[in-house]
Formats: sequence, structure tokens, C-alpha cells
Amino acid sequence: MQKHSVLLKEKLCEGCTNCVKKCPTKAIRVHQGKATIKEELCIDCAECIRTCAYHAKYSRTNTFLELADYDYPVILIPPSFYGQFDGIKPEEIHRALYKIGFKEVRDVAVAAEALSWKTKTYLKDNPGMFISSSCPVVVRMIKILYPELLGHLLKLKAPVEIMAESIKTELREKGLAEEDTALFFITPCPAKNTTIFNPMGIEKSFLDKSIAVDLVYQEILKVLDEEVNSNDDKELITNSTHSDAIDRDKITPIPYKGFSWGQSEGELSLLDDDLSKRTLSVSGIHNVKDLLEELSRNNVKGIKYFELAACNQGCVGGVFNVANPYQAKHNILKLLDEGKNMIEQDFSKYNYDLTKDLKAIQIDRLDSNMEKAMKKLIQLEKEIDLLPGLDCAACGAPDCKTLAEDIVNGRGKRSDCIFVLRQQVEDLADKMSELAHALPPVMRNRK
Amino acid sequence: MNEQEILAKKIEKGDFQAGGEASSKLKDLLRKLGVESALIRKITIVTYELEMNIIIHSLGGEIRALVSDKAVRVIANDNGPGIDNLKKAFQPGYSTASDEVREMGFGAGMGLNNVEHYSDKLKVESNADKGTIIQAIVEL
Repeated sequence: MQKHSVLLKEKLCEGCTNCVKKCPTKAIRVHQGKATIKEELCIDCAECIRTCAYHAKYSRTNTFLELADYDYPVILIPPSFYGQFDGIKPEEIHRALYKIGFKEVRDVAVAAEALSWKTKTYLKDNPGMFISSSCPVVVRMIKILYPELLGHLLKLKAPVEIMAESIKTELREKGLAEEDTALFFITPCPAKNTTIFNPMGIEKSFLDKSIAVDLVYQEILKVLDEEVNSNDDKELITNSTHSDAIDRDKITPIPYKGFSWGQSEGELSLLDDDLSKRTLSVSGIHNVKDLLEELSRNNVKGIKYFELAACNQGCVGGVFNVANPYQAKHNILKLLDEGKNMIEQDFSKYNYDLTKDLKAIQIDRLDSNMEKAMKKLIQLEKEIDLLPGLDCAACGAPDCKTLAEDIVNGRGKRSDCIFVLRQQVEDLADKMSELAHALPPVMRNRK
Repeated sequence: MNEQEILAKKIEKGDFQAGGEASSKLKDLLRKLGVESALIRKITIVTYELEMNIIIHSLGGEIRALVSDKAVRVIANDNGPGIDNLKKAFQPGYSTASDEVREMGFGAGMGLNNVEHYSDKLKVESNADKGTIIQAIVEL
């Protein structure tokens, strides 16, 4: 079964090791001139997609083709999506999505507003420091690299899952058959796509499909362009035969406040003022990793709540986005002026709690037996000393230490290092030369 | 399994840039040995406090870590000047750190308390001439 969303187009891979060096979990190696991703280490952060100059790393989501398979497709818009547009109103985006064929267009920001309320209560009721679990990349990174911090993750679902579950319930209550409906999510990143088939903290995702932001963006612009070109009044289009699904009742109130979740510091901005000096937002996977390292040695004090996002500037930095993260952030901040209050709703109708424990993924123990592990550890230190320590990655591993680990684990050999190999060749050449001069005594004076 | 030294790292006085290297390295090694993450957390915090103590308060020293199947022993050994008043040093909030160091966010006077809190056994020997040896043990 597929476990991740980041994939490789082998044909395009030049074996350059740029992705190998950038991967925060050291999940990539280049072997035989092609990059391979170690599944158990991949956290879907998409750093390799960002790094690859040859576009060999990519990620695939569902497309609009799947729309036709369902009588009642529903689309969920993440807050960050609104950052992709400048001057196009949320209502127009909704209208375009109805025209594309969705029966319902719903905002994840609605659940984000509710979750802010829940988070406030949670932080009041629970002593200690907490980390937001909204970004699936951060959760996966903690599971793999910082399991000692698992207990600090907020045991609440991400807004999109809260929203999806609530919509599923509504659809059931409306009497729609499960197989006729599908929840599509406009995903800004591969990681959120992954949580649909490989969820964390819940048995099963309530989402069915996801479509990458760039695909949806293009489609929406096309629809809106057609509107303009048709020279019709927008009111008229709303009532035209093409858009029987769009009646005015369907346009739900726009949850402007919740849009702030789409960019860094947004989640924090919806918490109480008395928390404001005790919260911290960090974005960008390498920054997040640095922070987690400090947290693991208890070296960040006085903070109650951390909002951590793997992408630069938050979800607006997701790799599927079209607008650059800075522009998108600005666009969202501008939209926030449109709504001063959260929309009215019953916060208690949602299921916020994670239903399964977040478990550590133990990957770097050298052996399940500690004594054997110790022997390997000593061998590992020796291997590290034998390597040049240049971290050039020409061996296909990100650095010398990792190559040494691969050697100890039987997945690499010393001569994978070009410097060691060169030394071996030199030694061999010396030996050959020595042998060449070491002719048997009887031959010595023949010349 | 016999006790085995897995880490020995010299620590220079005032070398804040290198602060955290010993504890990070030890954390990495213990993960490779398969030590449980909750215990690794305790050991990492203890080691970090001890290495920062050497950087801030001592004339330089060394951090060593020894592992058996029963416990991890972290030894911080410095070259002086020794702790004047051990009792006071363990009082929460008591610190001899300079203003400069405090401005960097250290020297809140919780270092040794944290070490005591997160370790199962703690032995401190301090001598004005010879410096300080702190042994912190976390049982596995």
C-alpha cells in the first residue's frame, strides 16, 4: 500500500544528491544514479520537491476526473487557498467551485474557528507545554525524530478532519448514501494528501480525495474568465441553467477569522490575549527541527503553546500553491479585515479529540538487543573515523556519519566513499609498482 | 552488559557555540542503542545542564557518558574553580552567573535542580583546588 505522496520520476533523476542533502530526516540515498526514498523515514515535507532542479521529485493527487464518479461531491477549501487570489472574493471562489460541479463548497476555516475555541479550553485545563498537531509533517517528524516530545502534542484533530467528520454526519442525516458522496479536499501539500490514506491519531480519515491547489486554481480562473467573457451580469449567471446547483442559500457565511490559520501565527492570533506572550510560531521544516531539538533538551522556557508549520510562512508555503508564500500571506492578512468576528455556530457539535495514540516510530536503533547494538555502535564510531568527514554526499548518503551507519547496517560499503576509493586505488597502484620492481633474482641482470 | 564509555567530549570555558553538542550526540547514540525515548529525554536534559554548567561556571572540563544495560552514567568533570557553597548551589533560583550570561538566557539558577530532578542518583564532589565532579545516573 502507498504510504507517502512524494514520488520520483526515475527518468528525470540525475542522481545529483541535492535532495539527499536537504532531506530533514535523511530519508534519501542515491544508488545507481537514482534517488530512492526510504519510506519509513519520509515525512512528506516536500523539501526534495522544492530542491530538485530536474523536477524528478513530484507528488500526485486526485484530479477533477474523479468528480464524475459521485452524485454528491463536496469540496473542502483550506484557509491557505484564499491566499492564492488577489482581488477575487471568497464568494466568487465558492461560486466557481459550484459551477465546476461540486454540490457543496465548504470552508475548513469554519472548523478552524471552532478548534481555536477548543484549543483555548484545552490549554487552560492541561498544565505543561503543548505543540499544535495541525501540521501532519510536524507530527510525523516528532514520531520519528523526537518521540520524547509526543506527549506534548495537542491531542486534537486538524481542522480539516474535524470539518470532514461534521460534513459526513450532515450528509448522512440528509439521507445521502455513503457511496454517492465524496469529500474532496483542496490540498496545499503532499502531507495532507498522505493523511487521507495514512492517517495519524484517528482510525480513518473522513476525507475521500484530494486535489492539489494548482489544479483547482487553474480551473477556478477558467470558470471566472468565462463569466467575464460571456458579458453577462453575475446575477444572471447565478440563475442560468449551467449552474442549477448554485442557489443563494448555499452560499454559507464566510469564516474570515478562520482564514488566518492559512499562514504562520494565524492559529495563535485566535487564542486568548493572556496567552499571547506565551506562544511561539515557527515555520519552515529546518527551523522546526532546530526548535524541536531545543525543546528536547528543555531549553525553551516560558512558552505554553507552539504553532509549528513545516512550510515557510505556514500552509501558504505548501508546495502545491501557486502564489509565493509572502504574497499569499499578504493576501490572507488583507482578507482578515473583512470579518471582525467569528461566524456563529455551535462549537460543541464537533468531535475534536484524537481517537488513537500517536506512537513513536523507532527507526535508528542498531539492534533490538542492546549488547549487539553496543557492538555495532563501537563499529560505527570506527567507521566514522575512517571516513573523511567532508559530507560531500558523493557516496549517495547525505553525510559521512550516515554512510557509516549504512555500512554498519550492511547497506553500504567503504568504497562508496570516493576518497576512500581513491586511497584504495593509490595503495593498489603502489603495491603493483612494488610488485613490478620485485622481479625474481634470475631475471635481474638479463638486460 | 558491562559498562561501556560511549561519549567523552572536552568542553571549553565560555564556548557557547558548542553548547548542546554533547547532549545532542549522546541523545543520538542512545537512540541507536534503542533506549526508551522518555529516558533519553531525562538524560538529554541532565547532560545539557551539565555541559552548560561547565561552559558558564568552570575553567573548562569534560563530559563523559557510560552505558550499561542497567543505567546511563553522565560524568561532568571540570578543572575548577569548584562550587563555594554546595547547599546554596542547589537552592532554586540561586546562581553565580554573570549578568552577561543571564542576558543570554542562562543562569536562572535552576541548572542543578534540573539535574537533580531528572536523574535517579546524583553525586557531587567539589573542591576549591581540583574542581567539580558531578555524576548523574539515570536508570534504564
